Amino acid sequence: MLSPNFVVVTAIAYVGLMFAIAYAADRRARRGKGGLLRSPVVYTLAISVYCTSWTFYGAVGSAARTGLEYLTIYLGPTLVFVGWWFVLRKLVRIAHNQRITSIADLLSSRFGKSSRLAVLVTVIAVIGIAPYIALQLKAVTSSIQAIAGDKEGSFGGFDEAGLALAVAAAMAVFTILFGTRNVDAKEQHPGVVAAIAFEAVVKLAAILAVGIFVLWAGNGFEAIFSRAAEAGIEIYSSDTFGGRWIVTNILAGAAVLCLPRQFQITVVENSDENHLRTASWAFPAYLLAMSLFTLPIAIFGMATMPAGANPDMFVLTLPLANGQQALALFAFVGGFSSATSMIIVEAIALSIMISNHIVMPIALKTARGLGEGDDHGVSRLLLNSRRASIALVVFLGFSYFYWTRDSDALAPIGLISFAGVAQFLPAIIAALFWRDATVKGALSGIAIGFVVWAWSMFLPSFATSSAVVAGLMAEGPFGISWLRPHALFGLSGFDPLVLSGFWSLFLNSAALVLVSLFTSQSPLERLQAALFADAFRRAGGEGANFIGGSAAVGDLFFIAQRVLGLERATDLFGVLLRTHAAPGPEFIGRLERELAGSIGAASAHVMLSKVVTGDEVSLEAVLQMADETQQAIEYSQTLERTSAELRVTAAKLESANEQLRVLDQQKDDFLSQISHEVRTPMTSIRSFSEILLDDGLTPEERRRFVATIHGESLRLTRLLDEILDLSALERGERGWQNEPIDAEAALDRAVEVCNGFARQRNTRLALGRRASEARVLGEADRLCQVLINLISNAIKFNESDDPVVSVSSYAEGASHVIEIEDNGPGISATDRKRIFEKFWRGRNAASGGHAGTGLGLAISRRIIARMNGSLELVPRRGRGACFRIVLPLAS
Amino acid sequence: MDRGKLPSAALVLALAGAILLLPPLALVAANISARPFGIPAAVIYLFAVWLVLILVTAFLSRRLGADERKGKG
Repeated sequence: MLSPNFVVVTAIAYVGLMFAIAYAADRRARRGKGGLLRSPVVYTLAISVYCTSWTFYGAVGSAARTGLEYLTIYLGPTLVFVGWWFVLRKLVRIAHNQRITSIADLLSSRFGKSSRLAVLVTVIAVIGIAPYIALQLKAVTSSIQAIAGDKEGSFGGFDEAGLALAVAAAMAVFTILFGTRNVDAKEQHPGVVAAIAFEAVVKLAAILAVGIFVLWAGNGFEAIFSRAAEAGIEIYSSDTFGGRWIVTNILAGAAVLCLPRQFQITVVENSDENHLRTASWAFPAYLLAMSLFTLPIAIFGMATMPAGANPDMFVLTLPLANGQQALALFAFVGGFSSATSMIIVEAIALSIMISNHIVMPIALKTARGLGEGDDHGVSRLLLNSRRASIALVVFLGFSYFYWTRDSDALAPIGLISFAGVAQFLPAIIAALFWRDATVKGALSGIAIGFVVWAWSMFLPSFATSSAVVAGLMAEGPFGISWLRPHALFGLSGFDPLVLSGFWSLFLNSAALVLVSLFTSQSPLERLQAALFADAFRRAGGEGANFIGGSAAVGDLFFIAQRVLGLERATDLFGVLLRTHAAPGPEFIGRLERELAGSIGAASAHVMLSKVVTGDEVSLEAVLQMADETQQAIEYSQTLERTSAELRVTAAKLESANEQLRVLDQQKDDFLSQISHEVRTPMTSIRSFSEILLDDGLTPEERRRFVATIHGESLRLTRLLDEILDLSALERGERGWQNEPIDAEAALDRAVEVCNGFARQRNTRLALGRRASEARVLGEADRLCQVLINLISNAIKFNESDDPVVSVSSYAEGASHVIEIEDNGPGISATDRKRIFEKFWRGRNAASGGHAGTGLGLAISRRIIARMNGSLELVPRRGRGACFRIVLPLAS
Repeated sequence: MDRGKLPSAALVLALAGAILLLPPLALVAANISARPFGIPAAVIYLFAVWLVLILVTAFLSRRLGADERKGKG
């Protein structure tokens, strides 16, 4: 045992050290030398305010009573920080953009700067945190009793309640001195953060020291665990991983986001979003280090301490029992440290909520808070209300402690608070990700969740001290058994924590979703919902300046000075004050954000609305303007789309037109060629007829002339026939039936037809190698026509001294090939490309006077094409030309 | 890993952590009766998962959105 005076002096000295650190940090920050203070390490250590005396003392007790369950309190937050990229980062970004001061401010700001929601959240937070504060008071009280009390637990003449009250009063004074020296623009407290970071190091070092001592005293992990196993101490069992495991994990994960102090440190005090990068793994690592020795301490304590010893105090009593007084004192300082840091930050966070969301609106309503009094009216009101709030919060904690002092374990008390603040979780998730959530949905969800929590969890904790509550627990209100707190809706047989956690969060979320679906948002709410949901998409994202209208500089300055203080107001107004220019909406918007940083979004909005005239319709006007702009954009997009379509159509038309022009040109060319072709025989027919009309011709001459006329008209007829034939082939009008025919038979026929002509021209018609039989698809007569045309051409244009035309055929793969070649002059390279064109005639043909229509090859090629074959001129070495027909064999 | 996939990896990590630490998977470890160094398997399992989560988060956090960070200077 240590002397009471020594313990008190140590505690006071420790608090003094913290003051010194906070003071130095504040000074450095004010001089702009906050480099170290704004480091990710300090930020992470400050977040570790999560580890209170519940962790320091209670975790060992929890491990001794319920086994591994104590780990859930750290695993849930670990998961939240592992997923920092999705939730925490967005929270921090929004808080920076909107100058959020607390969790109530966040929800109120998202749901249309609703004052009602802010008040509800504040009230729930204050009630929900009371058990948590009580836990700290209880832990500090117990630790003082354990380390310095006499056998009956009396300490310097105080009994337990008296000691707790003294501790509470001291804590309230510390907190007021710490946290309410000034009202900061962004509600950041660098001094407090530095002191908390220091405390985080102290408590970690203390718990590690005790852990290492236990390992030393118990001869290592293995010995401790084996000894416990031999003694029959089993604090882990497979039913650990049941409903309670899941629920406590969820509650702890929710708490690390929703507890006012966690929100204050993680979100509001965050000076750089990138600090989250470090915290995302360093905070879980800190938690792991804190809980590393919990289990060995717990089982070593159970194995060595006398029966009935309070396991919550093992951290302190184990070193004492082993005569390690210095270590015990260090452990006491660590526990004291964790409790004070929790109370300080929690009370500051709650006091900001109370002053901004409850006191300020009332002051604004009575109007006296604004206009009268000295220069620092609002500023002073804020500070005083915060001081009073801190006292209130700590006192509520003490009251809870007093009424429930018969319950002995620490951890269950903490879980009541966790479940209470977890009621904010559905609304926060909706605020971050669900645009359509409405303020009515948020209000009803939180209210229902709170009522269920209060009935099934908060109320039962008074059962030991109040007969009325005990009666309710046993019988239900008015004997309605399905409303019994621990058997809500007739569901019993589960752990009360599981039931309460499930019902409160389930009904909370259900009400939030359903009411949101059936109610609508105000314009301001819609705007804020978009700013929250799209926090990452908008650069700046500070929101529209929706207070329109005009205001005198004097009025605005008056307000700013009262809230922010003379110095900062002067800074903010700057040039505006000297020139007396009318402040624009942009400036009013900035001023609103600055004020919101001090008194919350809802209050700032109300306050400015009073001074700025003509703002009533402005938000609607802004939104309508936005709607009109949107419509204009849509309309012009439609126009653009239509004109693009028109452009495409025009381009199509143009290309069609181009094709038509080409076709027209071709038609003209064709017509003029035909006219030319028809004209030549017609001319000769006409001239010979004119000659015949003259008398004096011999009968011999007449017959010759008539024969010429006959020949010419035959040629003309043939020409016209071929033109008709060609045009029919081109338009594909003729009924054309491809049927299996024998190509060789057609070739034989053609050769036979041409034999006479060949003899007449002294040309040898040589038959080369022949395929035996070839079935191809086609029309026999047409094929024969093509072959006759090719053979007769070869005979006709062969001017060789020893003219030879050779015909051969063979099968090549799935094709039948017929080749007709001659040893004539051949076809010049320039003509090769054109011989298949209409009306083309070779030079030789023209000079040699061989009358042809010039359509033969064109027609031939089309006929072969109709049979799915090809007709081409094959390049050939030496003299002569070679035409090749390739036809697919019929399968 | 492709930078664009880092957010997905972070999400998978958080979900995987939740699945590993909650029943029924946690029950599998709890039912192992072996006790290395006298420590129950469930305890070793939970701390191991915890440690791995911390290490992988440390690895991912430094890379997540690194371009954005550079942009801000």
